[in-house]
Amino acid sequence: MQTQQETQSKPTVLPQKEVDTMMQDLRELYKDAPDYIKRALEELRGGISEIPDTLMETAGRIGARQGVVSELTVIAPFAKGGAERLRKLLALTHGNFSATEKVGSVHDMRFVFLENDTKMLFATAYDGDWDDYLDDFVSKIPNELDVIFWNFEGWPGIHSPSIKDYIAQFQVAAEAWYVSNPRLSVPQAKRLEKIDKALNEFLDKIS
Amino acid sequence: MQLQPETQSKPAALPQKEVDALMQHLRDAFKDSPDYAKRALEELRDEISTLSDARMESAGRIGNRQGEVSELTIIAPLVKGGAERLRKLLKVLHGNFQAADKVGSVHDMRFVFIDNDTRLLFATAYDGDWDVYINDFATKIPNQLDVLFSVVEGWPGIHSPQVKDFIVKYQIAADAWYVSNPHMTVAQARRLEKIDTALAQFLDKIS
Repeated sequence: MQTQQETQSKPTVLPQKEVDTMMQDLRELYKDAPDYIKRALEELRGGISEIPDTLMETAGRIGARQGVVSELTVIAPFAKGGAERLRKLLALTHGNFSATEKVGSVHDMRFVFLENDTKMLFATAYDGDWDDYLDDFVSKIPNELDVIFWNFEGWPGIHSPSIKDYIAQFQVAAEAWYVSNPRLSVPQAKRLEKIDKALNEFLDKIS
Repeated sequence: MQLQPETQSKPAALPQKEVDALMQHLRDAFKDSPDYAKRALEELRDEISTLSDARMESAGRIGNRQGEVSELTIIAPLVKGGAERLRKLLKVLHGNFQAADKVGSVHDMRFVFIDNDTRLLFATAYDGDWDVYINDFATKIPNQLDVLFSVVEGWPGIHSPQVKDFIVKYQIAADAWYVSNPHMTVAQARRLEKIDTALAQFLDKIS
């Protein structure tokens, strides 16, 4: 079955002159690198000359976005006893984050303990704009957030007017952000899974 | 159009007795928390009693997986001037990581500079097993990896037999990992996007 004309997969290419300049900049940047790195750099020319489908842009107040998918990376200090308590909470609930489904815009999400349990890294991929994302969390799963984030130093409580400033303060914007399917939002992914299932049922029926 | 009966969305539930015990543990862990956090905890009872259909398991050598989707989080020291060099590289590339498309198993990927540009945080969501993933990177985009990671202290080169141990040394497994569509691989997402386009064209034709 030929599913579609591959019109969008042919990438736009930069003018050679521009690529030459870029390569010159890169060579300059890597002038002290060992030979195998220099050779690797030359091999990148083809890729560098292609203009991607989506370019990195801002997710709003802070963070990066590709297409509809944004990144949020927070590194925050634990309150006293917070790491231990959060570990217990995660163990007792077996990392059950089913509540996150309710938010409807979270692709993935990880909690990583850092530096002898003094800090935590929270990294997520989500749909759309920073402000909307936080508003969604606050209105849809406030209890979950309070229970988790109360373990951090200075957590003002999810309904506090200073909540966004608190998060922005600990967020570190990514310098680079890649998404394999930048146009695929969480609801779109769920919709496509349903279509796939319905289509299979349909094909079964007419086979 | 009604697409499917929602059969799989009814989650399995834990026995009440087990939930009681869990709640008691949690109350104990949160005994010093402010009232709003205690109240929030009580509200979580229903969720805690539901079992999610995908549970966190190991991604192989290190890291976690939900369904098909695994997490890898690395924090590694940068060589002197490394952040500056990588930042320039990323700027020249406009955050262009098209090459990662070739790997075919990367959902998302971020580069974040932390601790005053002395360390690099690299966090990614990928399909399947740790060893396979690293092998794919090494065979499909070795040059890109060498150029990017040459800013990390002690990078042995992607073709070095030590490269896996090097990565493991700086990888930190997440304590919790959530994925909205745990059964959707990158390849599956691409396939479904094509089906969606084809289906829309088909429906157009018969309308």
